[in-house]
Amino acid sequence: MARRTSTPTPSPRAAYVLGGNRIPFARAGGPYAHASNQDMLTATLDGLVARYGLQGERIGEVAAGAVLKHSRDFNLTRESVLGSALSPETPAYDVQMACATGLETVVSLSNKIRLGQLESAIAAGVDTTSDAPIAVSDRLRRALLDLSHARSTSQKLAALARIRPKDLAPSAPRTDEPRTQLSMGEHQALTTAQWGITQEAQDELALASHQRLAAAYDDGFFDDLVTPFRGLTRDANLRADSSLEKLASLRPVFGLGLDTPATMTAGNSTPLSDGASAVLLGSADWASSHGLTPLASVVDAEAAAVDFVHGVDGLLMAPTFAVPRLLARNGLTLADFDLVEIHEAFASTVLTILAAWESEEFGRSRLGLDGAFGSVDRAKLNVHGSSLAAGHPFAATGGRIVASVSKELHRRGPGTRALVSVCAAGGLGLTAILEAA
Amino acid sequence: MTVVVLPGVPGAGGLYLRGAVSSGGLAIRRRVDRAPRDLPDVAYVVRGVRADPDRLTEFQHLLGESASDALPAGFVHALAFPVTIALMARPDFPLPVAGMVHLSNQVTQTRPLTLGEPFDVRATAADLRAHRTGTQVDLVTTVSTGDDIAWRGVSTYLARGLFLRGQGPDDRSTFDPPTPTGQWVLGADTGRRYAAVSGDHNPIHVSSLAAKAFGFPRAIAHGMYTASRALASVGPARGDAFDWSVSFAKPVLLPSTVNVRIAPSETGFSVAAWSSVPHLTGSVTPLA
Repeated sequence: MARRTSTPTPSPRAAYVLGGNRIPFARAGGPYAHASNQDMLTATLDGLVARYGLQGERIGEVAAGAVLKHSRDFNLTRESVLGSALSPETPAYDVQMACATGLETVVSLSNKIRLGQLESAIAAGVDTTSDAPIAVSDRLRRALLDLSHARSTSQKLAALARIRPKDLAPSAPRTDEPRTQLSMGEHQALTTAQWGITQEAQDELALASHQRLAAAYDDGFFDDLVTPFRGLTRDANLRADSSLEKLASLRPVFGLGLDTPATMTAGNSTPLSDGASAVLLGSADWASSHGLTPLASVVDAEAAAVDFVHGVDGLLMAPTFAVPRLLARNGLTLADFDLVEIHEAFASTVLTILAAWESEEFGRSRLGLDGAFGSVDRAKLNVHGSSLAAGHPFAATGGRIVASVSKELHRRGPGTRALVSVCAAGGLGLTAILEAA
Repeated sequence: MTVVVLPGVPGAGGLYLRGAVSSGGLAIRRRVDRAPRDLPDVAYVVRGVRADPDRLTEFQHLLGESASDALPAGFVHALAFPVTIALMARPDFPLPVAGMVHLSNQVTQTRPLTLGEPFDVRATAADLRAHRTGTQVDLVTTVSTGDDIAWRGVSTYLARGLFLRGQGPDDRSTFDPPTPTGQWVLGADTGRRYAAVSGDHNPIHVSSLAAKAFGFPRAIAHGMYTASRALASVGPARGDAFDWSVSFAKPVLLPSTVNVRIAPSETGFSVAAWSSVPHLTGSVTPLA
């Protein structure tokens, strides 16, 4: 006779970050100018393979992506795996979630490990703005497609006759939001003005990013996280000798048309960058059988999106909604974190997110709380620098953050906890909790 | 009321020519004081109109909508409006079609029309009245299947400098630019591209030379392009049934980049487009 019992859902096993690797990030048009996404991703995977002894290893799955990707690279990740020292029997697939691509690969692969579907995985991301795909104009594309479908000579001639000289101009990929035709910088300028963030505050954050990243390099923190590539040993954008005076002397480049002072300069905005990163994930069993030390576990994640199209919230403000939901589900507050990583798309992105969390009004009207969500201790924020100093090859940023923060959690020891937040085009945001293993 | 049933929707290009000829005739008759002073009591009707799928797709893509089988309310306007122009081009229509200014446009859609569905178009003119700078008139167009009116549009036009009903009051309002939610980058070919998908080849939109003849420094964007683009930007939140109401201020000279704000309001959505001067203000209100 069967007994009816209500068994609680078993909590899944832990998925661990075991290590990471990236190539130094370059500025667009720099030393990686002629390296493709596939070149950089392959080099980054091979660096990971070398560091963790994965030659010929069949990894459970490799997921990676690029924001700017040519349609011929439909299998970018699989092609990179085939060109790497991993076993050719390693499955791979592409992911694309704008600038959250890299973090999304970490989240989805660690969930598969938690469920027991995978024992090991590599989460990665790559982007090149130097070697970006260029497309033909829509009119030329349509005429050429109609030409290829045409049967008779007269149909073919009719398709060709539609092509005008101006249709031959190539169309480069743009970072404008398709529905608003505003660049990301112009969107953030609106949010910056809304929250009254000063240039001085943005420059201070930018300076801290450069100083902390430079110090981390000097301390050797990145020795086992970064593999030199094409002559670069450090991120090319890093300015260890930057100063508030230098930053203040830069002219604002975004928000010039607004009736509030323009505050966003090239110094407190991320530059267009080239680079790639990878994170090695695995179960406890897989780690021990390969002699690897778990650094941190990926505990939980939450995505959010905002209606920036109709000006309800700023384009890059989705993390302000994702984090309160994520922390509520896990019974945590901002004070429970030892490290907080907020991707520096712009200095003001970090500052507007923090300002929204500290706002009583925002907490009540937009987050449905009794008051302000909370504040972040600046000493815990982006402790080894972030995208303002390192650069931001879109899909590679998530992997950079997760690998660095996992190493730092492991250094700090059991019980320490990190919050990771990445904003993305389309009004998207992705956030995650990691705990020291 | 006299009902004139046309065999099909006339081509708007030829109508502009006819309108120009009739406007010239009107001017001559005005000199000898034999021009009409009242609206003709007539309705123009075309039955069994159907949308063309390729033109629909191109319209939707140009305005930033996904290619669905539901006809955008602005596309219905474009399909039906030549019937209205045919009425305005009649010799007994009291205002000259050539050079008339589109002041405002109100559309009530009670349900979306769909591709392949045959519908009837009926156009009348109403409410000839004074304006501060001339005489204005409402062109009322209904689109229906059987007795069911799915779409009703009221386009208000102004004949500047012609005072058939005296001078109207100064009802201009001031415009305080709000915070933009986006911008429209409008190339020099914006008028030609909208003409191709809407069929409205009014020369002031497609040629800077013709625009100069009517006193504009360059070609100007179709008002209904800006109105339709604002409606598209509101997105699916407008629902299947809505009021869509816009007023046109200064014309958009091409090429140009204009600020836009398409944002939730108390009743639905408010829409505005402006540069150094206001171009368009209005609202989209979902109907319960």
